[in-house]
Amino acid sequence: MSETFFPVNDLLRRKFQTSLTIITLTLSVTATLFLLLYSERLGFGIAAVKEETLTYGLSMVFSQFLIFMDILILVVGAVITAFIVFLMMKQRTRDFGLIKAAGCPNSLVFGYFLNELLIVTFVGCVLGVVLGFAADFVVANVFRLQIYQKPPNLWLVPLVFGVFLVLALFLGAKPLVKAAKLSPITALSPVQYFGMDEASKFKPLSRSGIILRLSSRSLSRRQAASVRIVILLSAVFVLLTVSICGGIVAGDTTRSWVEGAIGKDVIAIAHDSMVTQYKLLLSKFSRTVENGDFNYLDEKFAVPESILQQLNTAPEIVHIDARLVLEEHVRELSGYKIEPETMSTLPVGDNRTGQSLVVGVDPEKVLSTSFMKGYALNLSDVQEAVIGDTLAQAMYSPTPRIDLSDPLLQKLIVREKIFTITGVCVDPINNGNVTYIPLKTLQNVTGISYVNIVLVKLASSVDRVAALAQLREKIQNINSDFAVFELNAVLQENVAFLGSFWSTILFLPLFTLASAALCLIGYMLLAIDEQRQEFAILRAVGAKPKTVTSILAVQSLVVLLSSCAVGVSLGVITTLMILMPQPVVTSFTILEVAGWLFGALGGMFLLSLYPAVKFARTPLLKIMA
Amino acid sequence: MEKDNLAVSAELLCKKYQMGEAEVEVLKNVNLSVAAGEFVAICGPSGAGKTTLLNIISGIDRPTSGKIVVFGEDLADKDEDFLAEFRCNDVGFVFQAYNLVSTLTVAENVAFPMEWQRKPVKEIEARVAELLDIVGLQHRANHFPAQLSGGEQQRVAFARALANDPQLLLADEPTGNLDTANGQKIIQILRMLKAKGKTVIVATHDVQIIQFADQKLVLEDGQLASQNE
Repeated sequence: MSETFFPVNDLLRRKFQTSLTIITLTLSVTATLFLLLYSERLGFGIAAVKEETLTYGLSMVFSQFLIFMDILILVVGAVITAFIVFLMMKQRTRDFGLIKAAGCPNSLVFGYFLNELLIVTFVGCVLGVVLGFAADFVVANVFRLQIYQKPPNLWLVPLVFGVFLVLALFLGAKPLVKAAKLSPITALSPVQYFGMDEASKFKPLSRSGIILRLSSRSLSRRQAASVRIVILLSAVFVLLTVSICGGIVAGDTTRSWVEGAIGKDVIAIAHDSMVTQYKLLLSKFSRTVENGDFNYLDEKFAVPESILQQLNTAPEIVHIDARLVLEEHVRELSGYKIEPETMSTLPVGDNRTGQSLVVGVDPEKVLSTSFMKGYALNLSDVQEAVIGDTLAQAMYSPTPRIDLSDPLLQKLIVREKIFTITGVCVDPINNGNVTYIPLKTLQNVTGISYVNIVLVKLASSVDRVAALAQLREKIQNINSDFAVFELNAVLQENVAFLGSFWSTILFLPLFTLASAALCLIGYMLLAIDEQRQEFAILRAVGAKPKTVTSILAVQSLVVLLSSCAVGVSLGVITTLMILMPQPVVTSFTILEVAGWLFGALGGMFLLSLYPAVKFARTPLLKIMA
Repeated sequence: MEKDNLAVSAELLCKKYQMGEAEVEVLKNVNLSVAAGEFVAICGPSGAGKTTLLNIISGIDRPTSGKIVVFGEDLADKDEDFLAEFRCNDVGFVFQAYNLVSTLTVAENVAFPMEWQRKPVKEIEARVAELLDIVGLQHRANHFPAQLSGGEQQRVAFARALANDPQLLLADEPTGNLDTANGQKIIQILRMLKAKGKTVIVATHDVQIIQFADQKLVLEDGQLASQNE
């Protein structure tokens, strides 16, 4: 017997098992490579825009998600591979014993099976890489997603191929080494496969009881395989939950941040050019726009006192937030931190400089409520500031040169005045490159006594259209250069932009779901193959085809529900406690997430039944043969 | 033989299999009549079609042509669900390879055909105990098939086949894989069944079994070569 030909002939002789293993392995590698390419391009998309749009804090939320997803995708792929090769090689223990019993030296048998493992994993990995790359190419050309304008990262191809090949060889060789250590008689013993030597006292059951008993016994007989498929599907459900729950919760949360920062139904009243500039500043979150040479200090932008009086006396207006918007050169002021153990003083930060939009607001009247680290401005005449997340990243983040940097331990200098930084906020205005300062303080520092924009909110009880028209008329009568604009359109634009990002991320669960469903089908096929003889006996002794389907359905359900319980719990914990600070979870969010997950669970369950139903329809004699 | 008294009757029974390109005719125009309570031994060389004939009588397989009537039911035109009920209630089959369910204990293997029928728990327990007593395996009730010898597995297979007290028992080479001692135990069970008046059809080479059969059939190359009352 040639050492080269035996493994090939053996694999060809066991066509069904060999092709099933190769198909499942191929699917695993395909799904992993495709998902990695997809999320990598998604990462590219975000990286490409984050310099100009999407504030630093929000792009960090996306990046964190993608990194976590990438890790999970790799873990899922690795677990699938481990599962497949383990099943494949575990099934060969008896053959190992048979060949050894026939007098073949241990090393030679080991070589045969190692070659088989090598052939199967190599073919599976090559096919998987080719198909994964092809799937990426097809999706890029069919869907023409924005993210696909970037080229794929070709390094992922050898990376996935290498990792999976090594992993498969390593994990597949493990049961082989174990089998090699067994004596032929032990390897041939049915206990090796059935793994049963003890049982509780006999107690007859109902027909449904016997279905449950047969299902649970089969699962426990294939304990190693069952545990592995539960681990595998749990990882899939974690990935699914993080992407679905995370996608929805993070989408809702970040939308609430943006809505809070801009404010809903807010009306801006300012000079025509100032309103246009303010809208442009808000739009910088979702599209790249140039500030241009806008002179905020132009006195024509000053909101006349008569307009302010008019607004103050208008009964339909319930909220007035007068602001002074400027662009200033700002400077970081380094701080100190006391090391609690040594009580030594450590320098924090440096003296970096930059341009920032500076907005003077009355802390008691501010309309917006930004997501904040630290605390918001609460006194009107103190030298305190809240800075935007992008500014915090640009001027207060550690660099290779600066080990320690934390805006909340440092200060900010505007026009040579020192401001204590009380908080860092996520704010879409000027894409997060913003500094909020109490209005009175800013006016004192700059010597500017006026405000250049007023944000107002109308009472909810008034006829909004009529009230707006009335307001416009009043303002125009006072100064025809002044305009009244609703900011809802900009808000919608920003929310839609954010939504487009999350909906792209929500593509991931669909692909994950598809690959998990295929793996489950693979598992069911293997389970059927392993229990083929048993089902034949049951049917020969009087079980109906639907009984066989029921047994397989129960097995699938047990596996799916156990995985779902573990995976969904871990996924929810990961999303709410690790990935998403201060998540916004409404009852609708819970229903939406639950709907998706139940849909996924139901879909996977129904798909897993396909091989069971097909098998149940197979003629009895064909199964027995 | 009176028609009402017939347990099994086969007329011009044919069975062909497709083996790749070739067609193999396993049974050729077999005619057979077995009266209720009769003990029939079918002998013949390996590959003569004994197992195929038993499979068709039990409803596991269907004839390519011809008629097979068991207890008045023409099995050829029945659906899978009917045949499943038929195998569960009316026929006990002892397979050559024992075919015990590896995930069930000895007692559970004997019990499950009764559990399909939703019999009361107490009745099942009593019947399992009775059957295991008959085959001498009460002490093995909670063991799994993998822990039994071939002879013990064959006796469990007999107990399972008798669980629902079927009218017809089919046994395929019941002593073929056993040593003398275990073979004798199986023969004792068969004698007991004959004494109880069960209809039994056994495919066998065992001379001892053939000797006490009421009817001896010889299958050769798919045809009944001789019938010896």
